[in-house]
Amino acid sequence: MSGVVVHLPQGSGADGGEPVTLRLGPGEVARFGRGSPTTPVELRLDDDAVSRLAGEIRVTDDHWQLTNHSTSHSYLVENPEGAGEYLRVQPRRVGAPIPFEFSRVVLPTRSQVPVVFQVFAPDHVYLDPDATGVLWGSRTVMAYSLDETATYFLVLVALCEPRLRDQSRVAVPTTPQIVERLNGHTTSGALTARAISSHIDYLAEQKLRIGPPDVHDPGKGDRRNGKREEIVGLALRFGLVREEHLALLPPPTGAAGRERQPAR
Amino acid sequence: MTPLHGPGGTTGEPADLLPSGYRAGEWAVSELIGVGGWSTVYAARPSGRTGGPARPAEVALKVMPTAGLAPRQARRIVESAHREVELGRRTGHPRLIGLIESFVLRAPDRPSLDGAIVLVMERAARSLRELLDAGVPEADRGRLIEGICEGLAHLHRSGWVHADLKPENVLLGRDGSVKLSDFGLATELTGTHGYAPPLGTLDYLPPERWKAPLGALGVQVRPSADIWALGIVIHEVFASGTSPFAGATPVARGAAVQEYGEGRAPLRMDHAVPPFWRDLAADCLAPTHEARAEHTADSLLGRIAAGQPTRRSRGARPHGRARTALLAVALCATAGATLSGEAPRKEAFRPTGELTVFNAERRCQDRTDRDLHCSLGLAIDPTRPYTPGNVVPTRVWHGDVLTAECQLPHGLPIVDEDDLRSTRWFRVRLPSGSAPAGWLPAVRTKDRPPLPNCPYPTAP
Repeated sequence: MSGVVVHLPQGSGADGGEPVTLRLGPGEVARFGRGSPTTPVELRLDDDAVSRLAGEIRVTDDHWQLTNHSTSHSYLVENPEGAGEYLRVQPRRVGAPIPFEFSRVVLPTRSQVPVVFQVFAPDHVYLDPDATGVLWGSRTVMAYSLDETATYFLVLVALCEPRLRDQSRVAVPTTPQIVERLNGHTTSGALTARAISSHIDYLAEQKLRIGPPDVHDPGKGDRRNGKREEIVGLALRFGLVREEHLALLPPPTGAAGRERQPAR
Repeated sequence: MTPLHGPGGTTGEPADLLPSGYRAGEWAVSELIGVGGWSTVYAARPSGRTGGPARPAEVALKVMPTAGLAPRQARRIVESAHREVELGRRTGHPRLIGLIESFVLRAPDRPSLDGAIVLVMERAARSLRELLDAGVPEADRGRLIEGICEGLAHLHRSGWVHADLKPENVLLGRDGSVKLSDFGLATELTGTHGYAPPLGTLDYLPPERWKAPLGALGVQVRPSADIWALGIVIHEVFASGTSPFAGATPVARGAAVQEYGEGRAPLRMDHAVPPFWRDLAADCLAPTHEARAEHTADSLLGRIAAGQPTRRSRGARPHGRARTALLAVALCATAGATLSGEAPRKEAFRPTGELTVFNAERRCQDRTDRDLHCSLGLAIDPTRPYTPGNVVPTRVWHGDVLTAECQLPHGLPIVDEDDLRSTRWFRVRLPSGSAPAGWLPAVRTKDRPPLPNCPYPTAP
């Protein structure tokens, strides 16, 4: 657990539109807006319709709060994985708590294209499946908990599937194989290869915090594959993904799948 | 382990509980004690036929079912049980809950429990959590912390980290004795650290754990993680069960721990915690591993032994952290071995040897004014922690010559200011009119006269 990550994609910010990533720990605040010498902001949004100080993000516990400094505009916070879930944060609202792990913050502009940035809150805690129903306050819990309804979890299960189905010699699936495997199975439509890659990065960097890759060993070759192997190894080793999660995937197709269909 | 809420424990009760009277191995279940994430704990007694002489009258059975679990889940349980058994086998100690035996339950009539791993452990009266909820009597607080510290000191010296220290895992015997339990996450160190499964209890995790990466072996743990948890427990014991970190939920308090760890918030302890214990807790709660590492369980125990405010007035101490002298540490597991080998010597044959007292503190070696700060103590019982209550009134100074009657090779290990360590003690005669004898730790003299072994002291 380590706070939230704010990500401003390429083209939306100042400074030539370079992407910006901020990491905030608990209690830390980031201001966003157009900024000026007298109103500095941590996250610059380069649009005339955005105030100099448009709002603030404050990290609280395992989530974050949004303060809207605008006197006239509401901001939207969308959950891109939530089948249309969103919150409207009214003008002058202070510290609205945001419950989503993934959020798109949408600020209105005069043009067709709104200003959008993303906030990830990877610290949400989930109970162990075998530890529900009892007061949890002083329980021993898994320190790396995953949302089993999130798309990243589906990607993780797909990565682990061959090993879970006991095809232990089979290599970890490639991104195109996962695109194929999850085709049409997510609520938000088809996953692109790029989306799969960012889910894998999110798992490695934010959720499991896999140690940094060995940059001193250029001979290691395809680092991305090493990362996948590592994610799969850890998820299985520590029971983050188990046989029962295979039910989240679409039924297996093809000869290999039919042969190994478990008798349930 | 969570105690059941109220008699009957109605919330989320697992279907597969052993009924009272059920025979598991050589034990008969008497009642349910608690239900944890992966295990259920019962009180049990030896079942009729096999009550051997060494069998305790009452034990706790920790039952960890494996049936119906996927192989990988079962492995997690087996590994946890394996840790407990390994630790119990290798490092028995009066401050650790004793593991009596372990076995696999054969219960063909109960498929869900068939194959469960059963750990048979000493039965405690209650946990420190229950005592905290009821209110810890003021007189017991220091003793409780000292007991926890003794257990940790022993674990750490044996090369283990507990990794889940919390009041639920500190058990209290009917006689009030303190014992650490639940070694399901305990980890043997290789070098300076070990690896534990990525599990923990939010309120007791040190700041660095919140950002720790997950590696192939799990998450890195070091003894300093136990020291952090000890700091939280000290605060809880002295401040009616409250954490030094503010927040309504464990997640909120975890966020406060991180703010403190990153230097964005100070440590704010409750003023109910007496100054001596507040200093101690503050050192345990140093924000980084590096700053905490100097405060080992041994050094904390030494400070507790030297500085318990019950015996001395705090104002008289030259400095709050004067590491006066001996680091009292826990009893060696091998201590019992001397018991069998020794026959008490005949009274008539009593060889003696002379010992010149040696004080490793340089500035005390030249002084002849018998200043109290340069005096050294003699223990009443060399197998018990070297606390103010375990010291004879007679003091000795560097250069004094004492008459020793016998020696005890395996008493409580003592470390002096130069880090010399010895478990050897000499029984020395005292001037008439005082206690019959006192015990000088061997690190307090350079002499090693040939002396017979003393009979193993029995508790007074």
